[in-house]
Amino acid sequence: MHLLKKPWIIAVGVIPALTIYLIFSIVPIFISFYYSFMSWNGFSEMQFIGLANFKEVFQDSVFWVSVRNNILVVLASVFGQIPIALALALLLNRKIKGAKFFRTIGFMPVVISTVVISITWRMIYNSEYGMINNFLEAIGLGFLQQNWLGDPTWAMVAVCMTIIWQFVGLYFIIFLSALQTVPSEILEAADLDGASEWQKTIHVVLPSIWNIILISIVLCISGSLKTFDLIFVMTSGGPANSTEVMATYMYGKTFEGLRYGYGSAISVLIFVFSIALILITTKLLRRREVR
Amino acid sequence: MRESAVHYDTVSKQARKKKIVKRSTIYLILFLFTIVNAYPIFWMIMNSFKTGQEFSFDPFGLPDEWVFTNYVEAWVTANIGSYFFNSLFVGIVALLICILVGAFASYFLSRFQFRGRNMLYGFFVVGLLVPIHATLVPMFILMQKLGFLNTHLALIFPYVAFNLPITIFLLTSFMSSFPKEIEESAIMDGCGPFRIFWSIILPMSRPALATAVILNFINNWNEFSFALVLINDKALSTLPLGLANFAGEYTTNYTAQMAGLTLVLIPTILFYLIMEKQIVNGMTQGAVKG
Repeated sequence: MHLLKKPWIIAVGVIPALTIYLIFSIVPIFISFYYSFMSWNGFSEMQFIGLANFKEVFQDSVFWVSVRNNILVVLASVFGQIPIALALALLLNRKIKGAKFFRTIGFMPVVISTVVISITWRMIYNSEYGMINNFLEAIGLGFLQQNWLGDPTWAMVAVCMTIIWQFVGLYFIIFLSALQTVPSEILEAADLDGASEWQKTIHVVLPSIWNIILISIVLCISGSLKTFDLIFVMTSGGPANSTEVMATYMYGKTFEGLRYGYGSAISVLIFVFSIALILITTKLLRRREVR
Repeated sequence: MRESAVHYDTVSKQARKKKIVKRSTIYLILFLFTIVNAYPIFWMIMNSFKTGQEFSFDPFGLPDEWVFTNYVEAWVTANIGSYFFNSLFVGIVALLICILVGAFASYFLSRFQFRGRNMLYGFFVVGLLVPIHATLVPMFILMQKLGFLNTHLALIFPYVAFNLPITIFLLTSFMSSFPKEIEESAIMDGCGPFRIFWSIILPMSRPALATAVILNFINNWNEFSFALVLINDKALSTLPLGLANFAGEYTTNYTAQMAGLTLVLIPTILFYLIMEKQIVNGMTQGAVKG
């Protein structure tokens, strides 16, 4: 660390990154605040309409469906991805033949583009030719067949399953590397005391990786709030708005309905909702940590 | 004496049996996990080599006869070649700019003392929390005003901006771990700060740079929402956008869709298998630290 005699050099170093970051990441948020008070279709004269956009959003039942679905995705991710990943990591955290193979395949979906995953799973769920219905038929459970993405009662379930599938591997690997940092002396001491594997897991292993679990939960929440691509490609919010999330709702209103002011208002709400949820969870988890 | 030995023997036999059962259960579960993860992809690749007819009556087995017409169709009609080029071009240009300006800023943020330094660093890192799709609408309006809509620039700038927080975060924390003696002798030799950055700090940061490069590339390569909103010209589409459009047009030609997906998937998987360690490190580190 040292001080420079010519502070302008620091400015030269920081300004390029700062400019790009400001213009293309921070300014858009303010732009959306500004446009959220306007009525504008992209071509005609803009018109100031105060809070009318927000009022309309709150009165639209489809918006509330999309909020509910966003929350469903968060819950499915937290209660699906984290426990499955943790259980698998605990199982693999021992001398096992082919451990590397399990890790490699386990992480694979995480690197695949969401669009590829969405189209693949759309075909897997296909009611006529899809893998799942064919499989159910083949094992004699044909009566369980569904039009997975075409039926409003099943579409959201199907979408959530895919989301869980996509990211279990990320937390699986995060937990695995955390497990390797658990000090072996403590585990050996527990062995000498005759602790069973279950007891060791509950009393030694889990407490020592607790911080990583908490971080993963926050990550999982903020990650699942970003769900847009997957649902947009798989169902575009349908059938009958049953899989709409806030982002797909916003996309439809703005770019298909050509209502830029209204879309900006939804953007503002997405921003506020995401930041609030992340702040609340970090706060809640932190409080528990102190205890 | 003898009785207890026999007793001991049965106990150990039981224990061994229990152990075997436990081990096999563990393997079974891990194996199931592997199948759930890999089979959908295998299913898709296999079916991309079948005729539409064979796919409809035998979707599970290997192809009777390996057909390549689906690939011809995907490559020619879907124009996958040009999407590949666009994705590579946009991805690499954005990555180079991001790493260059990011490393430069990180150098000053980590090796110099100045007022507002911590605040500036915090300001960059807060960007990790900005939800991308909350910026889609304003980004569209902004790009329209700048006249960038339907050019590669419309993607390059947002890609740089949204990868800067994690890039600066990774590089700053790595660069601040170097001892300060490193620059001292260079300063004595009369090296300026730019020279020190270019010939000392940058080469020393290679491991962190590698992580940042990989993260940037994967993010750019897979990005869909900005491309969807900001690019409306087939000739400029990136792979994710082009694929989504292709699948939308060929909704009933499943085998052609699968061929298109496989063409995109194979390079990704190869890249992953070759660089597995760096990719996994990059993605989990970026995630946990971020």
